[in-house]
Amino acid sequence: MVQPLEKVDRRDAKLALAHMVVAFTALALGGLAGLLQTLVRSGKFELPAGISYYTILTTHGVLLGLVLTTFFIIGFQFAAVSRTTGALSSGSRRFAWIGFWMMTIGTGMSAFFILTGKASVLYTFYAPLQAHAGFYIGLALVVVGSWVSGFAMFAHYARWRKAHRGEASPLLAFMSVTNMVLWLVCTLGVAATVVFQLIPWSLGLTDRVNVLLSRTLFWYFGHPLVYFWLLPAYMVWYAVIPKVIGGKIFSDSLARLAFILFLLFSIPVGFHHQLLEPGISPFWKYVQVVLTFMVVIPSLMTAFAMFATFESYGRSQGAKGLFGWLRKLPWGDARFFAPFVGMLFFIPAGTGGIINASHQLNQVVHNTIWVTGHFHLTIATTVVLTFFGASYWLIPHLTGRVMTKAMNRLAIIQTVVWAVGMTFMSGSMHLAGLLGAPRRSAFSTYGNSPQALEWIPYQIAQAVGGTILFIGIILILVIVINLAFFAPKGETEFPVAEAAAPQERAALALENWKLWLGLVVALILIAYTVPLIDIIQNAPPGSKGYKLW
Amino acid sequence: MKLESTKPTTIRQPKNEKEPALGGTLASVFLLGFFIIFAWVSVYFLFLHRL
Repeated sequence: MVQPLEKVDRRDAKLALAHMVVAFTALALGGLAGLLQTLVRSGKFELPAGISYYTILTTHGVLLGLVLTTFFIIGFQFAAVSRTTGALSSGSRRFAWIGFWMMTIGTGMSAFFILTGKASVLYTFYAPLQAHAGFYIGLALVVVGSWVSGFAMFAHYARWRKAHRGEASPLLAFMSVTNMVLWLVCTLGVAATVVFQLIPWSLGLTDRVNVLLSRTLFWYFGHPLVYFWLLPAYMVWYAVIPKVIGGKIFSDSLARLAFILFLLFSIPVGFHHQLLEPGISPFWKYVQVVLTFMVVIPSLMTAFAMFATFESYGRSQGAKGLFGWLRKLPWGDARFFAPFVGMLFFIPAGTGGIINASHQLNQVVHNTIWVTGHFHLTIATTVVLTFFGASYWLIPHLTGRVMTKAMNRLAIIQTVVWAVGMTFMSGSMHLAGLLGAPRRSAFSTYGNSPQALEWIPYQIAQAVGGTILFIGIILILVIVINLAFFAPKGETEFPVAEAAAPQERAALALENWKLWLGLVVALILIAYTVPLIDIIQNAPPGSKGYKLW
Repeated sequence: MKLESTKPTTIRQPKNEKEPALGGTLASVFLLGFFIIFAWVSVYFLFLHRL
């Protein structure tokens, strides 16, 4: 007898889909802005109608870095929690919708001020660049909305745990909750700078702003933000991909331990983004660089677990030789192929991260376009290709449709297009960065200075790559719209893998939240208390706001 | 912290009869490690060269 598929509750599916609509709308608009940026940087193209380069840069960064990711992740996690621990209660669902609408209204507000040219403060919105207060208020709404959604998830998880005392929670639910805890703790920093510094300053209630404090609070949030993007991709890798290929999770406990290590070590590390910042003592930079290198451990654990999952499956299918298992993987299945290519790109991406965080090497690449190339590998390839791969089963699962063979083929092509485009764009960004080409700059030729002219071939390659990537965005939008509205009706599985050893019960200690939250707070206090006191007590007079566009 | 709540963590696991063969995984993680070291050292020499 065919077992009925375990489905996400219909009402929860609607909630998750609403998040997807905003996420993919942001992808369309933000992707277009990205294309325009690479064309301008080639030095061969000027924006029409007096549109500022910095306006489209801010649009691109905020829509893709904050809106696409946050909406996709929260929608995906609600679906994952509902699938593995049952339908949300009506109370939790109501809060989840309140969170969704707060985030959506906040996004609309911020987008309005960016698009009308009143908030060209780039993705990092560093003071003393000053945006219209509406931009900051919109962002604050997005953050507070995400907290409401997070608490809806926590309430649901707590109810499940109460009803299943002594049991470890399902892996996907555990991972979703860990990621939301990470998000809540790290967004406290950005909320603090936005609410207590930037909003009063942009409203004229205060004249000056402590620039170093605002940047430090931003990076207290900005680095764990990277892990907030990455962990849902890891959820797919650890808990979904083994099922897609027909194998098992190599180790459930290893996956949980990796997530706890990410929670502990991804927050007290923001100074590695500020290594060339005057005003922070070298000792505290050193402490945070050491903590940064601790994050390498769970990343390498993940790499090992993925290789082991693939090899175990290949060997179970009779693979021979050292790498014969690679041939047994389902290369024609876009649900596997897209995330796998994302994993491959994480090898240079992670390596680049280790280089960025090393103090001496940071001096070679700091504020060059190498850094832009780096995060286009991490977020815009590893994470995004995994999200695309997840969409190929998640969206039809939620809409009650099935992906056709033609769409699967298109998804494979989309992945190849993305990989080629990103190799051109990110590769040339890395190389130009090593030659000294700056990031966050509309200029390309710098008055035909000989050094800047050396960068031009790379910047043309960036434009070629950016154009190929935009074709990739059109393809993914075609696929997603097809899966949402036009694909044939039917049932699609939400794949959730089993652990290789069913007797292996994840240690409940990994869900001892009092212990882990205590350690998170302790590490943050160790890494930040003394330098923050120093930054506040020994601050120079603050800066007035600048609107340079 | 309630001690009894953590008791079930000591679950006895039956010994695996056979460890899975993971020679390819070992080779892969070594290749990954070499790539990281190669890239890091390359940029480090660039740093030294520009001092």
